[in-house]
Amino acid sequence: MTVALDKLILGANPFEGVSYQSRAQAVQYQEHFANEDNIAAVLNAALSAGVGAFTCSNTANVMRALKTFSKIDELRIYPVIPNAYEYAMEASEKGVLGAVLSKAKGFSMYQKVKLGLRALTKIKSVLTKDIMDLLLELLNFEMASFEKLNLGGVILHGQITDMALSSRNPDLIGVFQDVIRDTFDLEPILATHNFGTLLPQLMEWKIRIPIMAPFNSKGFMMKPSKDECEKLVRESGYPILAKKVLAGGRLTPEEAFPYLLDKNVASVVIGIGSAAEAYHTFAVAKNVLKV
Amino acid sequence: MNHPKKVRVALIGLGKLGILHTAVVNMIPDAELCALVDVNKQLSRYAEQAGLKAPFFTQTERMLAEIQPDAAVICTPAFANLSVAQPCLERGLDIFVEKPLAHTFEAAKTMVALAGRGNVVNATGYLMAHMTIYQKAKSLISEGVLGRLERVRASVYTSEVFAKKKGWLYDPDKAGGGAVISIASHLLYLLFWYFGQAREVFAQAKAIYSDVEDAATALLLFDGGLQGTMDVSWSLPNFRLPHTEIHVEGDNGTMEITGDYVKLYLFRGHKSYPKEWTTIYKIDLPSTGRFIIGAEGLYEEDQDFVSRCLDRGRPAVSWSDGLEVQRMIEAIYRSVAQKKVISTGDIV
Repeated sequence: MTVALDKLILGANPFEGVSYQSRAQAVQYQEHFANEDNIAAVLNAALSAGVGAFTCSNTANVMRALKTFSKIDELRIYPVIPNAYEYAMEASEKGVLGAVLSKAKGFSMYQKVKLGLRALTKIKSVLTKDIMDLLLELLNFEMASFEKLNLGGVILHGQITDMALSSRNPDLIGVFQDVIRDTFDLEPILATHNFGTLLPQLMEWKIRIPIMAPFNSKGFMMKPSKDECEKLVRESGYPILAKKVLAGGRLTPEEAFPYLLDKNVASVVIGIGSAAEAYHTFAVAKNVLKV
Repeated sequence: MNHPKKVRVALIGLGKLGILHTAVVNMIPDAELCALVDVNKQLSRYAEQAGLKAPFFTQTERMLAEIQPDAAVICTPAFANLSVAQPCLERGLDIFVEKPLAHTFEAAKTMVALAGRGNVVNATGYLMAHMTIYQKAKSLISEGVLGRLERVRASVYTSEVFAKKKGWLYDPDKAGGGAVISIASHLLYLLFWYFGQAREVFAQAKAIYSDVEDAATALLLFDGGLQGTMDVSWSLPNFRLPHTEIHVEGDNGTMEITGDYVKLYLFRGHKSYPKEWTTIYKIDLPSTGRFIIGAEGLYEEDQDFVSRCLDRGRPAVSWSDGLEVQRMIEAIYRSVAQKKVISTGDIV
């Protein structure tokens, strides 16, 4: 199944208090977006600007905003799973395995039965491997947060993609692909910070799956190098979702979007910190990218 | 020792950082991950299923006997570093040890002494040395852009501990301390790298939730008259990741150093840096590592270690550097315990 991806997608980094510019901006984001009404204001502005797609993790303030957002039916959500930040925090105390197992203990019996029935028939071959079983449960557990929402695709967190890449393990990515496509009937997407290493590996594994990766004229977070990433995106024909297009805020929309014109990207993901910024950024994006 | 083309690396300790180093070592062309070691046998199954093909051991000595690696990356809890490093050193392995070098100054000193007996490459995991923005700050300080240095104010805060927590990190006997050794050690490395060893230390610490200190403040005096403060807490809300700040004052202006930028305010222009404001953002600095996972600099750190194993050079952060950080940590803890100024020269 290949589903058409939204051309412009609102990102959630500011809502989660992430800034690449300064601690002061991160604090301003944290305080401002602790109030879910302020997230709703940006979502509203995005919708008014004709952007109805939104990607986020199941962070508490974002989920509160989605729960009460009056135009929720107009939004297509691209969940980023798992919420790696939460696991990493828990891993400091319990270790990585302890954090995962602790999360797994939270699965309800209903979920376990449901997972077994829904997934076992689809991917029997890998269920003998218990790490895959665990991964399957975690994916389903994370997806439960987004159960009642209109979903456009599901993004595997970059840390997980890049771990699978580093251990050269196609099974991990294969399970994600199968579960999202077969169980949820959605488009699986891989987030990565190592686009230039991931794409050749996927081609070797014969896995064709959209990739979300940084693309910007500064080369910010384009690994292994800007040139190698640009060459691959031009030549591979893989569906690419460009993120960090404003280079963490160091580029204006007017400076940033022309760079993407000849890059053959399917979608552009942009984190937005205010309603005014949403109107301006999406207007420039639509004008330059002819969306 | 003569290395083959690839450095065969054994990874010892598969906690959070051990897993990240495993991922990084796997991506370094000059390295081959040849063994995994962890006391938790259950991890063997998960490691194999996650795609890690290297053989798994629960004992370092057995791994050394069967595999004969060229090098070891040790990511065990700090209290185990010495006992794990010792047999590796006896076999002449080059060793990278995650920070801190050990849980006590004595253990760190023993490690440095043992390493000094052989021609082994020894590196330790003070990651910030491999981050471009901190390297930029180092070059600015070294070229004297601020003139004569007068004062430095340094802090690191994170939101990690808001109730009593379990695990070795919060056990004083195993971790050797709390926020200072676990979190501030990175900052203390930066201060040592930028300004040299502190000569005198006076510190206070506070345990709010833990059996170890959750926060601490130190007054530091460096050679040349540079005075400083260092403040750490792992119990402050709204720091989703550790945040480091260093403010340096000199007779030609000020410098603010964070993980995102270096901001200069100069009274007089210096070379290409004009009078008054200059801000250098990390985003604008050229990227270095060819792979990233977990944190910026981790690939560069392991690549540096592997490259030094091959060319027998000195890594960016050696165990001797790690020992100097440990000396500062020990001075802070002694000052807290004795309620007096401690001279680092007395810590031998």
